Amino acid sequence: MIGSFEYVRASSIEQGCSLLAEYDGQAAVLAGGTDLLVNIRSGIAAPRLLVDFKGISDMAQIRADEQGGVAVGASVSLNALLENETICQRYRALAEAAQSVGTYQVRNRATLAGNLCNASPAADAAPALFVLNASVKIESPRGKRSLTVRDLFVGVKQSALAPDEVVTAVALPAIRPHIRTKFLKKQRIRGHDLAVINMAGAYNTQTGELSVAIGSCAKTPILLPPLDDRVQEKTLVDKLVSRLNELAQQEVSPITDLRGSAEYRRAMIPVFLKRLLRELLCPPGASAQVGAS
Amino acid sequence: MTPRNSEELTTVGKPLSREDALDKVTGAAQFVHDLALPGMLHAAMLTSPHSAARIVHIDATRARDVAGVRAVLVGEDLNFRLGLYMQDKPILARGVARYQGEPVAAVAADTLDAARAACQRINVEYEPLPAVFDPREAMSKSAPLVHENLHTYEYMQGVFSPKPHSNIAHHQKIRFGDVTKGILDAELVVKETFYNPPVQHVPMETHAVIARTLPDDRIEVHSSCQSPYTVRHLLSVCFGVPHQKIRVRVPYVGGGFGGKAGLHLEPLAICLSKATGGRPVKLVASREEEFNTLPSRQGLYSTIEIGVTKDGVIKALKAEYVWDAGAYADYGVNIGRAAAYSGAGPYRVPNCWIDSYVVYTNKVFGTAFRGFGHLEVLWGIERITDMVARRLEMDPFEFRLKNLLQEGDRTITGETVTAGHGRPDQCLRAVADAIKWGEPRQPAPEKTHRKRGKGLAVLHKAPAMPTFTSCSAVIKLDEDGSADILVSGVDYGQGTYTALRQIAAEELKLPVEKVHVTWDCDTAFSPYDWQTVASRFAYMGGNAIIEAARDCLRQIKSVAAAALNTTADRIVCQDGRAFVDGDPSKAIPYEKLALGYTFENGNSIGGPVIGHGRYIAEGLTHLDLETGQGLPALFWTYGAHAVELEVDSETGEVEILKVVTALDAGKVLNPKTCRGQVVGGVVQGLGSALWEAFIFDEQGRLLNRSFVDYKIPTAKDVPRAIEPIFIETPEPGGPYGARGIAEHPMISIPSAVGNALHDALGIEFRELPLTAERIHRAIRAAKEGR
Amino acid sequence: MKMHTIRLVANGQQEEVNVPAGMTLLELLRERLYLTGAKEGCGEGECGACTVLLNGKPVTACLVLAVEADGCEVQTIEGEAVNGELSTLQQAFIDAGAVQCGFCTPGMIMSARGLLSRNPNPTKEEIVEAVAGNLCRCTGYEAIIAAVRQAAQSQEGCRDT
Repeated sequence: MIGSFEYVRASSIEQGCSLLAEYDGQAAVLAGGTDLLVNIRSGIAAPRLLVDFKGISDMAQIRADEQGGVAVGASVSLNALLENETICQRYRALAEAAQSVGTYQVRNRATLAGNLCNASPAADAAPALFVLNASVKIESPRGKRSLTVRDLFVGVKQSALAPDEVVTAVALPAIRPHIRTKFLKKQRIRGHDLAVINMAGAYNTQTGELSVAIGSCAKTPILLPPLDDRVQEKTLVDKLVSRLNELAQQEVSPITDLRGSAEYRRAMIPVFLKRLLRELLCPPGASAQVGAS
Repeated sequence: MTPRNSEELTTVGKPLSREDALDKVTGAAQFVHDLALPGMLHAAMLTSPHSAARIVHIDATRARDVAGVRAVLVGEDLNFRLGLYMQDKPILARGVARYQGEPVAAVAADTLDAARAACQRINVEYEPLPAVFDPREAMSKSAPLVHENLHTYEYMQGVFSPKPHSNIAHHQKIRFGDVTKGILDAELVVKETFYNPPVQHVPMETHAVIARTLPDDRIEVHSSCQSPYTVRHLLSVCFGVPHQKIRVRVPYVGGGFGGKAGLHLEPLAICLSKATGGRPVKLVASREEEFNTLPSRQGLYSTIEIGVTKDGVIKALKAEYVWDAGAYADYGVNIGRAAAYSGAGPYRVPNCWIDSYVVYTNKVFGTAFRGFGHLEVLWGIERITDMVARRLEMDPFEFRLKNLLQEGDRTITGETVTAGHGRPDQCLRAVADAIKWGEPRQPAPEKTHRKRGKGLAVLHKAPAMPTFTSCSAVIKLDEDGSADILVSGVDYGQGTYTALRQIAAEELKLPVEKVHVTWDCDTAFSPYDWQTVASRFAYMGGNAIIEAARDCLRQIKSVAAAALNTTADRIVCQDGRAFVDGDPSKAIPYEKLALGYTFENGNSIGGPVIGHGRYIAEGLTHLDLETGQGLPALFWTYGAHAVELEVDSETGEVEILKVVTALDAGKVLNPKTCRGQVVGGVVQGLGSALWEAFIFDEQGRLLNRSFVDYKIPTAKDVPRAIEPIFIETPEPGGPYGARGIAEHPMISIPSAVGNALHDALGIEFRELPLTAERIHRAIRAAKEGR
Repeated sequence: MKMHTIRLVANGQQEEVNVPAGMTLLELLRERLYLTGAKEGCGEGECGACTVLLNGKPVTACLVLAVEADGCEVQTIEGEAVNGELSTLQQAFIDAGAVQCGFCTPGMIMSARGLLSRNPNPTKEEIVEAVAGNLCRCTGYEAIIAAVRQAAQSQEGCRDT
């Protein structure tokens, strides 16, 4: 047995949440299980009850919303996400981030919401969702609320969720074609690995607004403060990298762990900023469509 | 045993598919992980959190209260010491724990969960002791002693020399020629230090055993092991039980790489079984235990000094190898010995002085690992040869070629190289050609921050084994004239059984479909084999099979002769039939001879055909304890690698473009399985080169003990191309001229990568692994002129 | 400890078992249904040795709870051959020399089967992506990739699962 806990398949969001409330911190939401069950096995987590919301159809869909955005149900697996054309075409950074998580097998179970709720500073989906300005829809017996993905991350493996809350969907704002996004991840090997650093950017080719988020370099993923001026496509990348790097080095506080030293992480920031910006500012080539293979 | 022309061979040399693949692709193959016996209990271990600690008190009362618990054992219960070459290891830590991860207690229970829960309830009071983690520090007089009673331990006399009241488990010396004079005569002397960290074998199947004790001290064990007879022998020595009362059975084994060569979890499982009154007890290592409790490959600090003439002739080589044995040095001492006698590389070195120290530290201990110290030693040797060549402004290819061993040369143990040894020069030329060594480096397409480089390295290894190593085989004919082979070497993936099958079919004149190797090894039925290590099984087992097959043929011919009213020398065997030479129309199929032959009138002659064969390494000698001179090598296998890589100078990431590996295999018994060995070994070697290392904290605790942080190559991490080349200089004593090649593909891979990195970046690397971060740091330092 | 009655179809066979919540699908398959082809290599979803098809999708069974498999179809290596006849994938593994110690093989084949079911004509990169979550220490992966390619190229590359 991987742990000693009880298991319940929630029949509705309300029923599931009321159980979460009843267990007051001693229950956990079982989404894909690829983080939670690993933590239970190693003794890091010891919930008495697992509440499984995967049977609730509302949480299992990818839906377009009236504003032109997309709501990704919390139970949607990463591979299911990657099979969605809208996600792959329009929310490129998110697709790239999802593709980089774990192995193909893991992506058949792991969910976007789970990746976020685990609140690891290295969560691959986070930088992408930060620059996409995404938010999470949350329900509890006390009602519904919304949080930006950014605000969901409070500290290392600490999310802003209360014990009686469950994320029901990740809400992606509408994104127009003139916004380019990109995700990059530095790993130790080419095979499945946690990020040494990861990074995402969104560039609005019309307004010149640029947004960059960096993960695995602080207690939470970091959204860099915006630049004062507009970035033109013809901007010299090197100068821009220099400015952003200066900003970034102030914002991040990387640690030395088994994946890399603080020094190496800091050194990789400008390297990956350059690669990120080259992709965002240069006219897109025949970029390969990202999708589940 | 004489090699024959390839055109004459019908089976040997053909790319026959493995017979065992069928069970493996259907899931029918059962590993110890999959076995269950009636009444079987499950065991779990409690391990020490401290690197060095006195075990003050163990209170297991709460553990015994857990439902389903049948036995709880602690070190005090088990007064045994284990070891093949050096008996330094208890079954459970007794009095002191010597490494973080060392088993301190164990429980057998109805379920694995109950056993684990019970372990959690065992209360151990520790008193941390001073510990030592660096073997160089451990050599100093003031270092804490890992084994205070080293001087009381039994060990293989005449072969090993532990230094009492020290942390030195063995000191191997090579004294060949006059190294002081050699260094003085040299016109250039280069001295460098190198480091290899400990790594793990990472077999996909972790160590696993099911043990059962029976009345009258009998023991039965199913083990995922490489050497059933060594397991039996060591159990006999450990428990004082005659060999005949111990039965070791080996089903399919999911990889070994040396880590399963000796005795590991078996004694503990046996003791648990005994404590439960004879219930079978299954003990399976979790992956974390595989990393942290089961042994690793020893780390190595090398200091190498090489003296050469201005035109690149090696005059002298002096080396100090300090092996990080970890807490127990059983196999470690033999690695220290074997790597020393190979420790100058496949070169003509007229004056050689090597000190190879195997040193205890308070970390997880080392054991046999594919290459047996040679990858570690040749990391230094094949890097320093490149460095020396560059200092002489000589092409590293030319420098090596100039100094490679040739017929008539003497090795550093005083052995004379013969024509049958093999051709390291041909191996080197082959890989240099294949990688287009002489041509100017092509720049990386498009991306200027990516730099390309090429590197070469040579290798050699002989089987590291005792002088009395032997092997045997039995072939019995079935009722239908097919043949069954019984051996107790283990095929844990290398494919040796397939080669043996081919050899037997060739010798027995049977189609290969009618020849089978009985997969399971069982010391009750399978005839003796020393150990399946050292790249010796195809060679020795092959020779034993040839003798056994010829024994069968003698029996067949003798009976056939009587049946056909002629003499045995006129009988020819072909395609599973025996006939008088020139008269195949009156052939007798083997099935009519397999159990004896019956004449028309009912008279029967002969009987069941059972052939046996054996092979012992003849003429090997111990190495002189003072000079290291002697004949340790059954045969040498030479080889070379060429590596072409591309390094991202911004991140330090390496992509291997091409690896060319040439081995003088003597005779490729099966190109498909030989290729599999090379490709697999190269990739495992790249793991050591680029990513793999144990990471310990300041208290000597292992930090990366799962796949999350101990990364081995995945399908995405392999080179763009791997090209194996087989040279075939027949080995006079080998079956069909074959030599062993199992370990060799891995050896010197890191060296070739290190050399290629210098070509790409102009930076010398001396420590493994060559991670992106290490490379990046070195690039940065070079830029800043440090 | 509460027991859950679950029903699933394993290799086409209807099964009903009582399991505790903490039992994994891997434990269920190996210990209750005696389908020992799927192996435990790490217990934490990193090595792929326990890969099976859950409703046609490759998953690491060590990180799926048995209770989560209620109402599902599970295919393991034991279901790959039909009436004793090897699939082209199995045969390709044998022919290509893609099998050495064999411990990773069932998981590898399941990942490959999952791939060929959804993508009968994969590129080499797609094959690599599909099996990169299956660790192998013996073969160096070359023959495994070749085997999957070979199976895809032969006529019966895609089968109804």
